[in-house]
Amino acid sequence: MEFLLNEDRLALAETVRDYLAGTHGPDVLRRLDAGDNRDPAIWQGLVNMGLTGLLVPEEFGGLGLGFVDAALIARECGRACLAEPLVDTAFVAVPWLLSQGDTAQMAAIVSGTAKPSVAHRINPWVSDGDGAALDSIDPLRNLTRPVGTSSSDPLLLDLGALMSAAQLVGLAEAMLDQSAAYAKIRTQFGQPIGAFQAVKHQLATAAVAIEFAKPVVWRAAQALSDGLVSAPVHISHAKVAASDAAIQMAETAIQVHGAMGYTYEVDLHFWMKRSWALSGAWGSRAFHLKRIDDAVIGGGLEIGPDQTFA
Amino acid sequence: MDLVYTSEQQDFRAEVRAWMDAHVPKEPLDTLECRVGFDEHVVWERTLASGNWGMVTWPEAYGGRGLDLIQWLIFEEEYFRAGGPNRANQNGIFLLGPTIMEFGTPEQKARFLTPMAKGETMWAQAWSEPGAGSDMAAISSKAVRANDSGGDHYVISGQKTWSSRAAFADWGFGIFRTEDGSKRHKGLSFILFDLNSPGITRRPIRQLHGDTGFAELFFDEVRVPVENRIAGEGEGWKVAMATAGFERGLMLRSPGRFQATAKRLVELYREHEAEASPAAREAVMTAWMQAQAYAYNTYAVAAKIMAGGSIGAEASLNKIFWSELDRAMHRTAMQLLGAAAELRRFDDGRMNQWLEGYIFSLSGPIYAGSNEIQRNITAERLLDLPRVGAG
Repeated sequence: MEFLLNEDRLALAETVRDYLAGTHGPDVLRRLDAGDNRDPAIWQGLVNMGLTGLLVPEEFGGLGLGFVDAALIARECGRACLAEPLVDTAFVAVPWLLSQGDTAQMAAIVSGTAKPSVAHRINPWVSDGDGAALDSIDPLRNLTRPVGTSSSDPLLLDLGALMSAAQLVGLAEAMLDQSAAYAKIRTQFGQPIGAFQAVKHQLATAAVAIEFAKPVVWRAAQALSDGLVSAPVHISHAKVAASDAAIQMAETAIQVHGAMGYTYEVDLHFWMKRSWALSGAWGSRAFHLKRIDDAVIGGGLEIGPDQTFA
Repeated sequence: MDLVYTSEQQDFRAEVRAWMDAHVPKEPLDTLECRVGFDEHVVWERTLASGNWGMVTWPEAYGGRGLDLIQWLIFEEEYFRAGGPNRANQNGIFLLGPTIMEFGTPEQKARFLTPMAKGETMWAQAWSEPGAGSDMAAISSKAVRANDSGGDHYVISGQKTWSSRAAFADWGFGIFRTEDGSKRHKGLSFILFDLNSPGITRRPIRQLHGDTGFAELFFDEVRVPVENRIAGEGEGWKVAMATAGFERGLMLRSPGRFQATAKRLVELYREHEAEASPAAREAVMTAWMQAQAYAYNTYAVAAKIMAGGSIGAEASLNKIFWSELDRAMHRTAMQLLGAAAELRRFDDGRMNQWLEGYIFSLSGPIYAGSNEIQRNITAERLLDLPRVGAG
């Protein structure tokens, strides 16, 4: 029993964090938003880091890592508000295709030439698909109506929900940092607004929600890796906790930014819009609560102090 | 990341479970906040000590088992699974014990830790004063050094309040101003005192439900030997902050307690399911989710500490989370109980633990550093926002 993200994992995530911080800042989001939302050079950069092959077995040229590693990278994608569909392709479609025994596209995914996203009955739209474009509040999602059939496999939904939860954690963390930074530079009544307890306490409350969403996400990722029968419940828990933290953080962030937060000029809106999108994606809050309800109140899951890791 | 217990850990769980099932009182004890109930809880402390389950995280040399933090969590899970009583010696186990281990002399360790581990002495804490609550550095109670035929000692004068367990405990600990004219954090010393010393008057504070858990303490020239001071003269603030750190940190509220409450809440909901609205259902699920999140977080912090890390201002996030979770769970239960919520005993004679728990939960966001203070700490130390109002 060791609930610890080891240093190798964190080192990889930090490398990705630094890379995205250096190459994928708000200026890039603005450039993409003014253009056609995508830049092949960004995708190639992710491919060069091996991220498209993170979950692809080594025999197909990938890194062969696991869901906890992928969740940590997905968190960084959220933190950077990454426009490219890395998570949909590499952390959702890849493991699902592997579970179906479908390895045909693996080498092409690793090399960056194939970018599959798989739709689900409950999550019918995909990023960068072949079909008609949809008008999302977050244009950088490049959301499309898929041409092909969609799956109703619960594993696909679980993968999508888990990786959305991980991105939501990163989105929330980024909004917390942006809001704290703004509260330090914006002055009123002769002092930074961050010196006022009314501002401090809102940010602290959001920080609590983020702090206690994180371990739920890591636990869910490990439960899926370990093949626990209860993994879907823990993934639903992660999705609800991360969505709630991100939405609370987004609402706090715009409040702290004041009227500036309502403008296109301040960067916050990119992260807010992604948070709204991912909170509903891969199963709504109500859907995931229902799964928790069936397990916890319905009695499908052992609960109590001695059942922490049931 | 390894979320599977080893076979040794599973064996340990079985050992704790067997002992708890055999020894935990079948009927809940009377409340700790009356003489009879306090004495029942002291008997329970001694029962625990007889099985060497009193101070499980303490080193064996001081009467503990030297358990690591994962074993401690397993112990706590089984303790609350079995419905173990609240700990009369909470202050000693988690606050003073670790403080003496860190700052005490070998003589002080032998003199105070051993009887504490045996359940022989119950400890009260004495931080707050009428003019020093959240602003603890404002304390004014004095300990004046004197050396006469009675030996080197302090003469304590002043008043402490909200002193938990002080109505019935044997000994107390707190900080006092040992340097005349000193201000704020300077000139304070951490001193232990026998609550039965001449010159100490205890006035139990009647709480809103009529019981007396804490007390005011009046010191009228109370003589305390210098050997009762922990760490150096004038180092009291540093010691007190370390003690408060233990309190807010990992061990004050173990997750098992909240998971047990969440489980009871689910059971209560099932009893009331026919007439309860979906809103109550969501509150019940939230209770389970948050109790689990608190448990995961605690396991993660434990792993971090075992790997050589430490817990800093994150302790404030913990304290905010568990205290508000506890209040929300009990509020939900009160709403489910409806007309029965107001009864101290149900009409079948059982204690209404939800009411008692709800009232107790209201103190959580206030004691051990109010949640307003914790939010300030979070904002200033974790988010690096400007400090205001702190001396």
